[in-house]
Amino acid sequence: MASADKILKALSDSLGKRIIQTRTLQPGKSYIQVQTGAHKDAVRIVLQEDNEAGVSAITGVDLGETIELMYHIRTCDTIITIGAEVPKKDAKIESITDIFPGANFHEREVSDLFGVTFEGHPNPKRLILPEDWPENVFPLRKEVSVANIPSKIGNFGVSKDEKHVSSEERLVNIVLGPQHPALIEPEKFSLRVDGEIVRGVEPRIGYVHRGIEKAAESRTYLQDIYLVERICGICNACHAACFCQTVEAIMGVSVPPRARYLRTIILELNRIHSHMLLLGHAGLEIGYETLFHYMWRDRELIMDIMEALTGNRVIASFITIGGVRRDLKEEDVPKIKAELTKLKERLSFYKNLFESDSTLKIRTRNVGVLSKQDALKLGVVGPVARGSGVNMDVRRDEPYAAYNEIPFNVITYDEGDSWARLMVRLDEVGESVNIIQYALDHLPTGPYRVRVPRTVPTGEAIGRVEAPRGELFYYVKSNGTAYPERVKVRTPTFANILSFVHIAEGGNVADVPASFVSLDPCFSCTDR
Amino acid sequence: MKWARLKSPWVLHFNSGACNACDIEVVALLTPRYDVERFGILLEPSPRHADILLTTGVVTRQCADRLKRIYEQMPEPKFVIAIGACACSGGVFEGNYNVIGGVDKVIPVDVYIPGCPPKPEAIIDGVVKLLKSIEGGKQSGKR
Repeated sequence: MASADKILKALSDSLGKRIIQTRTLQPGKSYIQVQTGAHKDAVRIVLQEDNEAGVSAITGVDLGETIELMYHIRTCDTIITIGAEVPKKDAKIESITDIFPGANFHEREVSDLFGVTFEGHPNPKRLILPEDWPENVFPLRKEVSVANIPSKIGNFGVSKDEKHVSSEERLVNIVLGPQHPALIEPEKFSLRVDGEIVRGVEPRIGYVHRGIEKAAESRTYLQDIYLVERICGICNACHAACFCQTVEAIMGVSVPPRARYLRTIILELNRIHSHMLLLGHAGLEIGYETLFHYMWRDRELIMDIMEALTGNRVIASFITIGGVRRDLKEEDVPKIKAELTKLKERLSFYKNLFESDSTLKIRTRNVGVLSKQDALKLGVVGPVARGSGVNMDVRRDEPYAAYNEIPFNVITYDEGDSWARLMVRLDEVGESVNIIQYALDHLPTGPYRVRVPRTVPTGEAIGRVEAPRGELFYYVKSNGTAYPERVKVRTPTFANILSFVHIAEGGNVADVPASFVSLDPCFSCTDR
Repeated sequence: MKWARLKSPWVLHFNSGACNACDIEVVALLTPRYDVERFGILLEPSPRHADILLTTGVVTRQCADRLKRIYEQMPEPKFVIAIGACACSGGVFEGNYNVIGGVDKVIPVDVYIPGCPPKPEAIIDGVVKLLKSIEGGKQSGKR
């Protein structure tokens, strides 16, 4: 691993005059603007300097005459951003998928939303917009107004992507979704199958695309908190935390200690409920329905704590800019502690079950193996990366909330199979319970929020949070008003979903559900 | 027939662009604490077997065609319950570029359950209200 300073030095040594400017977005986060064409060399240098680095996200920003592309690269302890501008009239740039395959979906998304062509991209198809979307309308460009996009009401039929594609030679096409019993969310996966063996997977996402990034530009920062929480109902507190942290970084606001601890508690509650939801769902997918019911019954303990703390079971609406919205009632603390103790007892039962049960063993061991090398190449995050032995966790690498004061372990498994990914989550639930217990015991006194102005000074910032599914990334640009100029969200599943194509290929059709669910995909996050 | 439908309505769940919050509450209905199966309510994977369509989420442009198709595949009499603020009216996403609006812009809706997300108790209440009105002679597709 290389430190950020060393990487920056290597960049300036090799690129020299091709660097247009270097500036600091916020303390510790550098932005290097390079000439168009030099972006690929810049990305290559960073990837060479740090062999565990990966492209976290690609953000497009409409600057009027040009479109700015930002390649946010995750290195050991920070994010380095490489910027390049392309003219709007002739928006073309060289693809980086050949040096970093994990950039595939990021580039397709920018291509859909901003109309930038990535030359040399292996599969430049529509990703997130519907097939019948009007040609040459790129919704995130500033000149596109929502009112001018032709309405679809009264014109529903069979869309282009629903027509079945004829199978090639002896391969059979199996279409999963968008409505399918195994998928709670609507997305479509075409599996090309040779007998029982999967030869290829073509994901088609975008069924849940609601255009939240554009909507965020027409709402105030305060309204945006409620909007971004509804990107994903499962990890809603993480979205709120990440957005608020990023805005607080632009404003230079520091959050009172009690609020940082309360944020940690709600973020960990979110993680526990999400992981237990997934572990139960995994039971359902592998035909172990009892496990599903057991897990979801025990998960209700957490829902009760969430309701006591925030007033809501699911969407917390707890975190706000400057702190949290409600204080923890002193009389609730013993109740919460008692429920956590109860949950901990159940966890040892599950741990024993996952390690010894033969059904789980047959269905998940050596199924959907993702090697460490592939995990790095595809840029996966969170439990998927940790299940393949990649030791990364934003909570430790770049602490936020109160994580720098609370001891916890980062769980990794080296097997890289579906079982390892599930085990990472099961062990993380135990760690989260410990974190919450520690936070309750060491809860500082004092105010739980500070008042902040409605307008945000001009500036830009990057925020990262370890959501249940992995690194959640926000980029917010402010133009000095109460409305943001640009809000970019890169959700963990968007980074992970490419690995499904990789792990399903060559496996059995019957193993598709197990390997799919072990990635814990969340499509409302992915599509936004 | 009517007696069977009232005693054991089969439901199909379709998410046409929800944030998962309503969806996990719908799933929570089936799990031990709420356990609606004790009332005979059974989650069905196929639209061809379902009596009631539970929809969650705002309707996106890409999902609209599919939602209509699923509704058309259900046998008569069929009923639709819109769960959550988004399915009822579009909620926070009303007016976004890839969003059509509430479910009733595409198919007729019989029961609206507001909330973001509604609590499982509220969803059970909505289903029971629908069952009562079916008992009173409610026809499908009419408000």
